[in-house]
This record gives sequence, structure tokens and C-alpha cells, in this order.
Amino acid sequence: MSDLIQASSRDIAGPLLELTDVTTHFQTERGLVRAVDGVSFTLDRGKALGIVGESGSGKTILSRSIMGLLPPRGTVRGGSVRFEGREVGNLGRNEMRSVWGKEMAMIFQDPMTSLNPVMKIGKQIAEPLQIHLGMTKQNAWATAEKLLTDVRIPEAKRRLEQYPHEMSGGMRQRVMIAIALACGPTALFADEPTTALDVTVQAQILDLLGEQRRERNMSLVLVTHDLGVVAGHTDEIAVMYGGKLVEKAGTKRLFTHMKMPYTEALLQSIPKLEDPSHTRLHAIAGRPPDLVNPPKGCRFAARCAYATDQCVNEEPPLVAAADDPTHLYACWYPVGSPENDAAKERLAATPVSVGTAAGGN
Amino acid sequence: MAGTGTAHLRDSDDVLLRVENLVVEFPVGRTGLKVNAVSGISFDVIRGETLGLVGESGCGKSTTGRAIMQLPRPTSGSVRFEGNELTALSGDPMREARTRMQMIFQDPISSLNPRRKVRQVVMEPLNIWKRGSAQERSQKVDSILEQVGIDPQRAAESQAHQFSGGQCQRISIARSLVLDPSLIICDEPVSALDVSVQAQVLNLLEDLKKTYGLTLIFIAHDLAVVKNISDRVAVMYLGKLCEVAPSDDLYHHPMHHYTRVLLDSIPVPDPAVAVRKTAIEGEIPSPVAPPPGCRFNTRCPAAQDICRTQEPQLRELAAGHFVACHFPAETPVPNPR
Amino acid sequence: MTATLTPAEAPAPAAPEPAAAAPRKKRKRPTFGMIFAVTFLVGLTFLAFFADYLPFIRYPDDKIKGGARYGIGPGWEAWFGTEKLGRDVFARCIYGAKYSLQIGVYATIIGLIAGGFLGVLAGYYRGWVDRVVSIIIDCLLAIPALLFAILLVNRLDDVKETAEWLNWLTRQWQIVLALSILATAPLARIVRAQTMSLREREFVLAARSLGAKPARVMFREILPSLVPAMLTVAFTALSILIASEGALAFLGLGLEIGTPTWGTLIQENRTKIYDAWWATIFPCLMLFLTVLSFNIIGDGLSRRFDIRQAGV
Repeated sequence: MSDLIQASSRDIAGPLLELTDVTTHFQTERGLVRAVDGVSFTLDRGKALGIVGESGSGKTILSRSIMGLLPPRGTVRGGSVRFEGREVGNLGRNEMRSVWGKEMAMIFQDPMTSLNPVMKIGKQIAEPLQIHLGMTKQNAWATAEKLLTDVRIPEAKRRLEQYPHEMSGGMRQRVMIAIALACGPTALFADEPTTALDVTVQAQILDLLGEQRRERNMSLVLVTHDLGVVAGHTDEIAVMYGGKLVEKAGTKRLFTHMKMPYTEALLQSIPKLEDPSHTRLHAIAGRPPDLVNPPKGCRFAARCAYATDQCVNEEPPLVAAADDPTHLYACWYPVGSPENDAAKERLAATPVSVGTAAGGN
Repeated sequence: MAGTGTAHLRDSDDVLLRVENLVVEFPVGRTGLKVNAVSGISFDVIRGETLGLVGESGCGKSTTGRAIMQLPRPTSGSVRFEGNELTALSGDPMREARTRMQMIFQDPISSLNPRRKVRQVVMEPLNIWKRGSAQERSQKVDSILEQVGIDPQRAAESQAHQFSGGQCQRISIARSLVLDPSLIICDEPVSALDVSVQAQVLNLLEDLKKTYGLTLIFIAHDLAVVKNISDRVAVMYLGKLCEVAPSDDLYHHPMHHYTRVLLDSIPVPDPAVAVRKTAIEGEIPSPVAPPPGCRFNTRCPAAQDICRTQEPQLRELAAGHFVACHFPAETPVPNPR
Repeated sequence: MTATLTPAEAPAPAAPEPAAAAPRKKRKRPTFGMIFAVTFLVGLTFLAFFADYLPFIRYPDDKIKGGARYGIGPGWEAWFGTEKLGRDVFARCIYGAKYSLQIGVYATIIGLIAGGFLGVLAGYYRGWVDRVVSIIIDCLLAIPALLFAILLVNRLDDVKETAEWLNWLTRQWQIVLALSILATAPLARIVRAQTMSLREREFVLAARSLGAKPARVMFREILPSLVPAMLTVAFTALSILIASEGALAFLGLGLEIGTPTWGTLIQENRTKIYDAWWATIFPCLMLFLTVLSFNIIGDGLSRRFDIRQAGV
């Protein structure tokens, strides 16, 4: 009982998740890879946060750093991760085991490889319930059936007796969600949960995640490369690039007042249905920076249309927007600012574009 | 919906590929059952056109692409390509005909031999067919590699895994071009890529299409991508065609209920409109025992009794806009263009 | 840049590697076992093949005086002691290594070729080819292996008496052939399984769609990817074959009388084991260490390439 009171007082006390200057570096043969390089943000209970970026932006490593799911060898971690007021960033695997499942759970991109192919679905859901929550076998299987119903799997009872290969990709992802939800986590991390799925199934899974989040008052962290996926399913969005947080804002605010040219470029690279066919897409030239030797200025400078010498040489700090203190961005020439307009004018004046300046092949 | 018929085939001298009543079935082990992967579809592609094939996984779109290449051969039906009936060819004429059409696959890294240098991979087709002298071959390979934005020097030294997914897809594209094919079948070429890289590859395909005068068949599950690159789109469901239309018409006036579902499923990168209109229930039925009548009837919001018994035929409801549905979703407006 | 790409879309300079999203796999340092195994085998092979030129190795038939009935024990004069006829056990072990290794390696190579060929054919063509090959593999696996080898060696002796064209088939080649059959089945099996999955890979499909002939697809596209698996199985097979050779020799089916192999050495001296243990134990030890070494290497390779063993 006192636990409960404590828990609820903790809820009020502060955010569910608080990251301060989190760094995750890997030692490799080529040198230190700065996969996550000083990321700070907070996430409130019951909210959905989207972490968006290209592959190599550090978004997956960041979510795994929070979960403590990194290989122990060659990993250098720094900063603080506070979950419900408790520091979890320095916990070892054994200590994290009590956090996994009950407090944080994760679902992955490929539901086929994350399920055990030779174990019945029912057993895969029921077993953690028996171990973590001390349920009897009968109880656990009954709960498993209810969980499958919750994730909208028809004929849940029959499905419990099936093996993963007997199910479609979408069904397997639902099973993964059921397993993640089994111990009632306070935060669910979904790492590209729909990338391997069809658009129709993707829509279903995203709806399901949103619905479960609201029902369970659970926080959701949705990691994806597609701004379209997070638009309708998150409260806040954090954009990552080159291991850094480059922009963070409420979802509506981000789409209407985006400041980072990178966010803008990501959005523009999505083909739009309204555009007539053969509309030329705005691709972002080049690739993300090498995180062994990150550029010293803004990490996006080499691919940015508005970049100047200042961008190449000085790293922009993460600052709050003047009209919205929750909107953070790191850019010298934010979209919509006079500086950016000036940069656009310069661009129009000089025909040499940044793509060539960055050096083609 | 999800019906048969050939009303949409065009009578033109410029038809590069004409597929009629294509059927592909696979046996299920030794059970005597069969997977009805493709159940009698017909379409044609005019020289210089891009045809988009769109549908969920399991609808038979990739199987269709491979059946055109005769890899494996279709169970029945006709595939006429550049005046040759491919299903009747075998041996050397077949191998020869295959060089006129090429394929690009979904998994960019898996489609390159992991044990070879990528420049060798791109050169391989020329070696197989012994085209030109060694010097001519190198020149051709280098120029194509440059065209797709890959440094030939690096390609000569590196293997596939040393490149990123987007680069591997560029390399695959380069390989498909060295034999100067007339048709390229792109089987989900951008599904495994990040959106930013996806845009690069789509733009590259458009450019190369112009430069080389290519005809494309573009297979994908994302209608937004298909619409962007295609002139004409064919929507497939469970081995059948639902709707064939010019891509802009298809978007503005989707008449098949399934097409609407596909359109509505696409995540819109705008929180203001992100609330979905019609979410579809359930999943695609098993192709081992497809439902009778219209194959979409189990999930269709407008299904009636006739849909469960009688298969709809493709019919033209607006100029160039063909639908296989007993109760089309929209009364067609005359072609706006 | 070429005309087809607008400058803005030109890919950025090829960075050494796209920013690694995950820690790159560390190259594992070789384990102590691996170092030992490789050193032992390389050393042994060197000694065996250059024994004639090395001053500290006697000829296998040279006799050393002393220790009248059982030979002398291990010591400075003869490192592994001498056996009942006064011959140096160390020298005989080294010369034995030459024959044992040769037989093992030849048998494995034949097994690799036959098994690889059968496996690739079955995996690539499937259908009836696969069924025929599968039956062959099943038959080979069903036969009690050692018994089969004994039978073969015996029968070949009989056949050779009437068939002169078989004269090249010395005792050594008979044993090699008999043993190679043991290696064929497991190799064919793993190659078949791997070919089947590789065949569906897109790069193979791409090669076929480029008009490559089946032989080219099999040997240029598929075969190189099979090498790790084949190597792994080959090393494990090698250890088993060498042990089997020992067993055959022990049963009296060794090389021509007087030619030392480990099996013959053990067989010749085992009756005196209580009085002159060294003459039996040292060849046993050599056999043991060799088999162990091949196994360690095979095991290490399988872990390195992540290959499941197909029931050797």
C-alpha cells in the first residue's frame, strides 16, 4: 500500500523519463563511434514521443540506451537516465531485469526474429507472466488470451496454440505487442514497429498502439524514419541527426512551425499523394556524417541547402523558440527566420549548390 | 472487385509487354493443395510508360513480376514481350530474351553477391554475354556507375556490405542497365530504404528512364510511392486485378473499395489530417483457399450477396479507368484531362 | 557529375562507412585452443613432410641398440623411446603423421568434391534430382560407416586380383576411397541445404535474370558462398577420418606392412603396453592431439561463420 502511495506521489513529482546529456559511444577498430552524443529531454507519463531520423542518426541506439539494452563490451555510456525519478542509466543487466517488462518494454522491427519459432504463442506470452508476476499457469494462460483479445487478434484462444510461422507479419507484431504489454509497463518503446509491414497493416498497428497507450495510461516512444508515421500518433516529436537532438516540439507545432532545415528536408522527401505523378521529389543529398569523425560545426551542414561558413565551423546550440519554450532546435538559420530568408536569397543568387560544394563522387 | 477480364488491354503498336490471363500456382508441400498466387490477370505496358503494380504482401504482385521474367514460369497464360511469346521460349532464346528485361529487387544488399567486388557484379552481365572488348566493358561499367552516383574506383575495391542500402540499390540499378534492356521490373526497390534515400532512388529511376528510354514496371505496397513514379497504376488483391487507371485518376477518383482503403492507410505527414477515414479490418485471406466471388468480399464495406457468388469483371467506367467491382465506390466523372 | 544527376542530388563524398548505427562486430581474438591447434598442425605437417631432411629425426627403420626386449624408454637418446625392434618411436610417429594426414586430407578432398557436387545439384535443381541425391545421402548415412570401409577394403583386394586396370589402386588409395565415402554424405547434406536457401537469394535470381547459364550460376554465384560451410565441415570430417584411419589400421586394414601410420603403430605395440607403454601411448597421443586440433579449428570456423553442424 505504501508502495502505491509512493508511486503515485512520484507521478506527480516529475516527468516519467528524464534524460540529461546522455551519451553512448562504441569502441570500434576505426575509433570511437559517437552514436548518441549528448541528448537531453523529458517525457511525461501517458504521452507519446516520436523519435525521428535516418538510419545512422542514433535514434535506435538512444532508445536502447534508455532501456539498457546495449552490448556491454566496448560501450561507453555517459549522462543520466532517470525513470520515475530513479536513475537507471548506470544499472547493470541484472538490475535492469526488474525494470524490463514491468516498467519498460520494447517491440522491434522484425516480429519474426523476435519471436521464438519453436514455442507456442501462448507459452511465449504466459511464461514471463509466470516468472515476473508469479501467476499460476492457468491464470497466465487466461491472461494471455485476454491480451491477445486486447491487441485485436481474432479467435484468441485458438491462436494461443499456434506457432509464429503460422501467423502473418501483422499478427506476429500484434503478438509482440501483447508480450510487451503483458506485465503492464509504464513505458513502451517501439523501434520501427511497422517498417516491415504493409501500409494497411501499419495503419492498424499504429492505431492499436495509440489505443493501448490511452487505455493503459502508458507512455509510448515511437522510433521511426518516417515523419508520416509519427504525425498522427504522437504528442511530441524529437528529431535526431548525427547522434544529436536537433529539434523537439509538440507534434502539431513541429509540423506547422518547423525550424530545422533537416526536419523540413525529411518532410519534403516523402512523396505526397496530392501531387501529380512524376512530381520531382526533394531528396536530401548525400548521407549522414561519419560518427567517428563528426564534423565540428552543425552536423547537417554538409547536406543543408542553407549552410554557411558559420554552420560548418560553429556548432549551433539547442535553443528554445521565442514564442514556444517547449520547442527546441539547433540551427543558425532556422526555417522561417530572417536569417534563413537571407540564406535562401543567397542561394538564389549563386547557382552553385551545396551538393557540389560537398563534393560529388 | 478483384476480378478478371481483358477490357483494359490496349490496341497499340507500341505495346512492349502484354500479359494475358497470367496464372501462377505453387503446390503446398505434397498436400495436393495449391497457393493461388496469381489467378488470371492481364495487363499491358506501352513503350516508355511506367506501370505501377500495387497491393499488400501476398497479393501476388512480386510473383507477377517474376512470372514475366519466367522465373519461375507461370502455370498458364501468355506473356508477349517485344513480339516474342516468352512462355514458349526455352534455352538460349529464353536467356537472350531475359536480357531485354531486367529486375531490381527489394533487399538491396541481398541482391548483390556478397563475395564479389561490386564493380565485378556490375560487369558480370557483360562477361556472361561476352559483349565488347575488355576495355569497352570497363568503360561502359564505369560510365554507368558514375551515372547512378557510385564512385567506380570505390566499387572496384569494395564489396556490397561496405555500401549503405541506398548505394546498394544504385549498384543494382547499374547492373540492370549494362545490357541496355528495354524493360525494367522494379520489385519494391525502395521499401527497405529510409524516406530520404527513397526519394534519391526514385529520382534516379526517373532520370535514367529518360536517358535510356526505359519502360518500367514498378511494384510496391505504398500507393504514394507508386503514384509518384507511375503513369498507370494497377491495384492487385489476392491474385486478381481490382482497378487499373492513370495514376492521377486513381488518386482523385478511386472506385474500388480496396483502392480507397490503400489510399486511406497511407500515413499523412500532417497531424491535422492524420485521422483516418476508413480503417480496414482484418487481413488478406489465405491464397490457398481464396473466397469465392469477388476476392475482396470478406473485408469490403460495400459487399453484398452477389459479391460472394459472382466474380466481377474489369469494366471501363471512365476513359482509361477500369474497375472490377459490382458496386464501385464513386460514380465516375468524365476524365478531367 | 553526369547529366542525369542534378548537383543537389549528387551523393556526398563516399565516407569510409555510413555512420555506424550499431557497434561493429569486433574481430575476435583467436582463443588459446585455436592458437594451439594451428601451431600443432602446422608444426606436425612441417616435420612430417621434411622428416627426411631434418637431422634430428631418424629414419623410421633405423634401429637403436639397448633395452633388449621392449626397447628403451623415453629419454635424450630417443625422445619417445624405442619399440620392441629398437626403432625410434618419435621418428615412426612423425612418418606415421605423413601417411595419416595424407590419407585424411585426400579422403576429405574427394568427399568435398563429391559431396559439394551432389549437394549443389540437388539444392539448385530440386525436383527429381534432389530426390535422387537425397536417397543417395540417406543410403550413405544409413550404412554403418566403419563396417562399410572394412568391407570395401577387403573386397577391393579380391577384385584387384582379376582386374589389372585397377593396379593404380594401391592400399593407400583404397583406404582413401573408403573413407571419402564417409565424408561425402554430411558434406552433400549441408551443401544442399545452403544451396537451397542461397538459390532464393536475390543475387542468384539476378544472375539468372541476366541470362547466366545454370553452371555459371552454380559455380560463380552460389559456390563461393558455400566455402565457409564446406571448410567448417571439412575440418570436422578430417578429424573423424583420421581417427577412422587409425581404427582401420588397428583392425589390420592399414597400409602395406611396415609402413608406419598411427593406427599400425598402436596395433603393433599394444600387446607390450604394460612393459613399454611409450610405444603405444605416444602414437595415441599424436592421434588424439591431431583429432582434437582439427576439431577445435572446425568448431572455431563454425562459430566464426555461424554454421550449424549437419550431423557429421
